[in-house]
Amino acid sequence: MSKNIARQRKLNLWPAFFVGPHILLFIVFFLFPSVYGIYIAFTEWNLFTSPEFVGLDNFKTILFDQESSFHDQFYNGLKNTFLFVVITVPFCIIVPLVLASALLAKPKLHRLFQSIFYLPSLFAISAVMIIWQFLLSLSYGPLNNYFDISTNMLNTQPYAWIALVVVTVWWSIGANMIIYLAALNGVSKDLMEAAELDGAGAVSRFFKISLPSIKYQILFTTVMTTIAQFNVYGQPLMLTGGGPTDSTRVLLMDIQQNAFGKGISIAGVSSAMAVMLGICIMIVSAFQFILLRDRD
Amino acid sequence: MKQKKTTKITAFSFLVIMAILWVGPLLWALFTSFKSREEIQSVGFNFLPIHWTIGNYQELLFDNASTPIVKWFLNSLIISVCHVALVLVVASLAAYGYSRMKFKWRDTIFMCLLASMMFPGVVNLIPLYSVMDTLGWVNNLLAIIVPGAASVFNVFLIRQFAMGIPRALDESAKMDGANEFQIFIKVILPLIRPVLAVVALFSFTGSWNDFLWPSIIINDVEKLPITPGLQLLQGQYITYPGLGTAGALIALVPTFLLYLFAQKYFMQSMTLQAGIKE
Repeated sequence: MSKNIARQRKLNLWPAFFVGPHILLFIVFFLFPSVYGIYIAFTEWNLFTSPEFVGLDNFKTILFDQESSFHDQFYNGLKNTFLFVVITVPFCIIVPLVLASALLAKPKLHRLFQSIFYLPSLFAISAVMIIWQFLLSLSYGPLNNYFDISTNMLNTQPYAWIALVVVTVWWSIGANMIIYLAALNGVSKDLMEAAELDGAGAVSRFFKISLPSIKYQILFTTVMTTIAQFNVYGQPLMLTGGGPTDSTRVLLMDIQQNAFGKGISIAGVSSAMAVMLGICIMIVSAFQFILLRDRD
Repeated sequence: MKQKKTTKITAFSFLVIMAILWVGPLLWALFTSFKSREEIQSVGFNFLPIHWTIGNYQELLFDNASTPIVKWFLNSLIISVCHVALVLVVASLAAYGYSRMKFKWRDTIFMCLLASMMFPGVVNLIPLYSVMDTLGWVNNLLAIIVPGAASVFNVFLIRQFAMGIPRALDESAKMDGANEFQIFIKVILPLIRPVLAVVALFSFTGSWNDFLWPSIIINDVEKLPITPGLQLLQGQYITYPGLGTAGALIALVPTFLLYLFAQKYFMQSMTLQAGIKE
């Protein structure tokens, strides 16, 4: 007993040994940069000298200064980012949901199908974009050859947007599909059979029983997918180059260019843009969470 | 019974059409990478090569100084393997701390870590560059290997899993005179192997596929990993689909192989992630 007390009195360093390394990494590579990132949004900074505090100037310029190119950049980039999210997210929920429902019937080769749809989500975005860029190009792809299309899809609207959405869906639905498939597998078989006996068709069973049973997974994937799509960068960068005439240029491309592009870094303004994008992401996901959760 | 059969047939036909849409681009890329430059220029689009050639791969791998793809591939391997090792050590130690030990502020600290996951990552991108500059890690592979180990999500996953291991096991080891580190190594570690496999796979693919951050922090072409490297390759070979697709496919090989051998864990991991808050 007394030995026990003595052991407790002695400073116990084991917790520091176990959680210390992670806490240290967390502070250096996450906490500090996050706090600092907010601070430099209020400064003029070129990445290397010490930042100079300018109050709300960056935000004023970006939001209200009609003369400034940052103002145009920001609104154009934010508009395109939102547009991308609004078009892409529904497809990234509905397509995998439909695929999962079809897989649930366990037709022949269903495991192979499942792998096929899942696989692209493990692939590097740059590799995927190279493949699709050649596939959609007039000279080398099948479009011109089989379908006699002679407009360059990647620099003509609305095809450029359609291309971005198609490629994004192709690339990223794997995870959601697996989540839905597992969730649908867990839906009560008894309930489904009872409904079937009562004469409910497959469609009405899907909407009345399956969908409500996997509500939590729908909520989870919607929020996660939305956050992921807000951070869109690689697809427009490598597929459309932000064109035609900046109509697919997203905000992250501007943030990256202003801070790390050619010429002197404008990291302060760029950080202010990043902070505002971050606020948008948080507001939208909080909103989705409340909206979807309360729909009982 | 009959109805079930028609459902199966409908589902099958639908899936076949979708699967063609999904596999088509990959197969076309694969075939294109085996077509000669001349063939692509003269024939235009053709699904299969008329004359199969490995010339694109030869040129890309052995005769190409401006886009050193072999070097990039090796860089990526080094980065991903080191990243996985670091994540496993750091995250499993931390997870042990938060799931098996009692210390002051434990739950408060853990809740703060969890809350931090809500913070949008885009905000710390620019200052992280500055941190790397201070550490002297700009243009250094460490800048890509280390920061990801700060992730809270891995700690969270492993902790959730470890919570399910009965306390009695630690207690009896403690009775036998084992210290915390021995308990961690001998009792807990063997039991959390399934979740460690999941974390390892996801850290590997995440690190291999990371695009934006490496392209910011590495300016030296020789030091690039393959995923951002492909952007240079795209610029270089925009009119040579054979070389472009060959490069893209080389970059897909490791994650593809990993999937073939560890399919089970990939499937498990998704349900693990989504099922957590239930």
